[in-house]
Amino acid sequence: MDNQRIKIMQRLNRVFQEVFDDENLQINEKTNAKDIEEWDSVEHISLVIAIEKEFTIRMNAAEVGKLQNVGGIIDLLIGNQG
Amino acid sequence: MQSMESFRQELALIKNQINQKNFKPAFIELCRIATVDADFAVQHRFAKLFASIPSEALELKPIRIGIVPTGTLDNFIGILRFYLARAGLIAEIFVAEFNTLHQTILTPDGPLYTFNPQIIWLCTNYRDISCEILPNTNEEEIARAIQSEVDRFIDLWLALQANCTAIIVQNNADLPSERIFGNFEASIPWSRQNFLRQFNLALAHTSLAHHVHLLDLEYLSAQFGKRFWHDAPYWHYSKHAFVADASGLIALQMAALVQASQGMAKKCLVLDLDNTLWGGIIGDDGLEGIQLGHGLAAGEAFMAFQHYLKQLQRRGVILTVCSKNEESNAKIPFLEHSEMVLKLEDIAVFVANWHNKADNIREIADMLEIGLESMVFVDDNPAERQLVRQMLPMVSVVEMPTDPALYVIALDQSGYFETLAFSTEDQNRGQMYQQNAQRKQTRKHFSNVSDFLQDLHMVAKYGDLHGQNRARASQLILKSNQFHLTTTRYSEAQLERMMTNEAYICRYYCLQDRFGDNGLVSVVLLKQEADVLLVDTWVMSCRVLSRGMEEFIHNDMITQARARGCNSLFGTYIATKKNNLVAQLFARLDYQLIEETEGTSRWRLSIEASTPLKSVLIQAKEE
Repeated sequence: MDNQRIKIMQRLNRVFQEVFDDENLQINEKTNAKDIEEWDSVEHISLVIAIEKEFTIRMNAAEVGKLQNVGGIIDLLIGNQG
Repeated sequence: MQSMESFRQELALIKNQINQKNFKPAFIELCRIATVDADFAVQHRFAKLFASIPSEALELKPIRIGIVPTGTLDNFIGILRFYLARAGLIAEIFVAEFNTLHQTILTPDGPLYTFNPQIIWLCTNYRDISCEILPNTNEEEIARAIQSEVDRFIDLWLALQANCTAIIVQNNADLPSERIFGNFEASIPWSRQNFLRQFNLALAHTSLAHHVHLLDLEYLSAQFGKRFWHDAPYWHYSKHAFVADASGLIALQMAALVQASQGMAKKCLVLDLDNTLWGGIIGDDGLEGIQLGHGLAAGEAFMAFQHYLKQLQRRGVILTVCSKNEESNAKIPFLEHSEMVLKLEDIAVFVANWHNKADNIREIADMLEIGLESMVFVDDNPAERQLVRQMLPMVSVVEMPTDPALYVIALDQSGYFETLAFSTEDQNRGQMYQQNAQRKQTRKHFSNVSDFLQDLHMVAKYGDLHGQNRARASQLILKSNQFHLTTTRYSEAQLERMMTNEAYICRYYCLQDRFGDNGLVSVVLLKQEADVLLVDTWVMSCRVLSRGMEEFIHNDMITQARARGCNSLFGTYIATKKNNLVAQLFARLDYQLIEETEGTSRWRLSIEASTPLKSVLIQAKEE
């Protein structure tokens, strides 16, 4: 994983920990809604908003909904920054 | 808006507390840092942390709230729960299916009613009002159209009331951001902006008569900022009728409303004085030195705050004072500052002493015969606020900003004084509490003071000035401003001359108490002229005011006069800007006023006729 991806992963990890109130949570590229019990459609929106705040971007919630996993979110974030 | 960055540290500490099962302190801290200025991610975190605390650990009153929304509230509910808890309530919440306003309300055995709510919140927005007014429609037709929309809501209220006894809260219309006619919409009665404004007014005219309480969504959207409140992407994609970031604001307001509906709104403000009602410290800076009044930025800010408080008082909110000050000092601005907006008669209970504020607040509550949970504490000092938060968790404490110009808005936005009704009775109730308290105070005040003084275990040491305390005596004479009858300024050398002069009696007084030694606190210089003793100088440290030293020293002066065979004591008071404190000191000590010219008064005490004054509980040791 390149440096940029690692940095984004770290920040994203913290967002996940805060949204799901679990300081032991560790996400990886493959993590998706099936892996986190509380990650339902409602918390999905909370997550999207939290990510938008952290990375100072606006994401299309529908777009994010289509993504398979955390790796896909990072791709989106990189895409936005690039 | 404040983001996660500003809160991470504090939130981590709270999380820690929760992990260690220190639930109450964690919750108190969470309530302290909670602010509507925090964005959604932070509010969500507040909500999550609160949710992780077992509610049995907090003393919350249960409440059942049914919500019928026309937008999605999924991400809002947890945040509402937190603010309700902050307001003392643990909520069971039923949320009707999105966009089933009529079906939900018109189904008598439906889930809303079987839930048996105490409060029903019709969480509608401007999109629920049909506004199909063509340009140039006349006023009559507009009024008809508006009434028709209002009637639709009235029908819903009637249906609700036919099926249950819950308190009904109804949103009014949050005006949208876009305007087809742009700014011109302000000037035309048939614009959508004005249609909705008129609708809101029409709703306001009828809601109370129907026992329905409006939640002013229009105000909240404006307060938050419509350009952010209306978030089109989030409306279109997930039906958020208001931007998620406004969740804190709406939740706090709704919680305050619910709190008021349960009779749990606050009744009484406990106000600090220094740097809260005026800038500076009255005891140190004096009347001239405090910031209050026109022309000075800080002074104007404090005046505006007082003005706001005065209006609350007129509304029926009880104002009380709790200050760490000598009472006489604390009252000076009320009595003598020309720009003071609040007067003593506005204050139901006035407490100024050196006790801790938690004890004082308990006493105030006692005197007013109201519960501690009815009180709101306002103090610029974060340490005092924290003490009260910890010792009296049921007292609400406003987190005051450092800039006094922001005091008004901080108190205003706290939502502690919401109400669902108002009558002249409410206005008068405030006065009634005040009168009651004043009665109690005169009864209680005396025993309180002597209990306090007795508790101090004061010991006074006194005698003729000598070489070792001469320097200190001179210092006291040179630097005292407030308790200084003649504002003489004697150097050590001048004092020495007086001390060796037969005509002079130079006395010193020291005071010790349970908390420490105050050292030399007063100096009196008496000059004998024939059979009369003149009080040339009398200074005293303000730290020991109103503890009985004045009476004690007075008695000693009489003793000195008798010892010299004098028949009178003559006192002079020379007014300065700073010594108003002692203008009536001689009167208090039973001297007779002989003459009064501009700024100077002369007094006489007949030794024959005088009896020693009671000096409360000071043990004496003459040296």
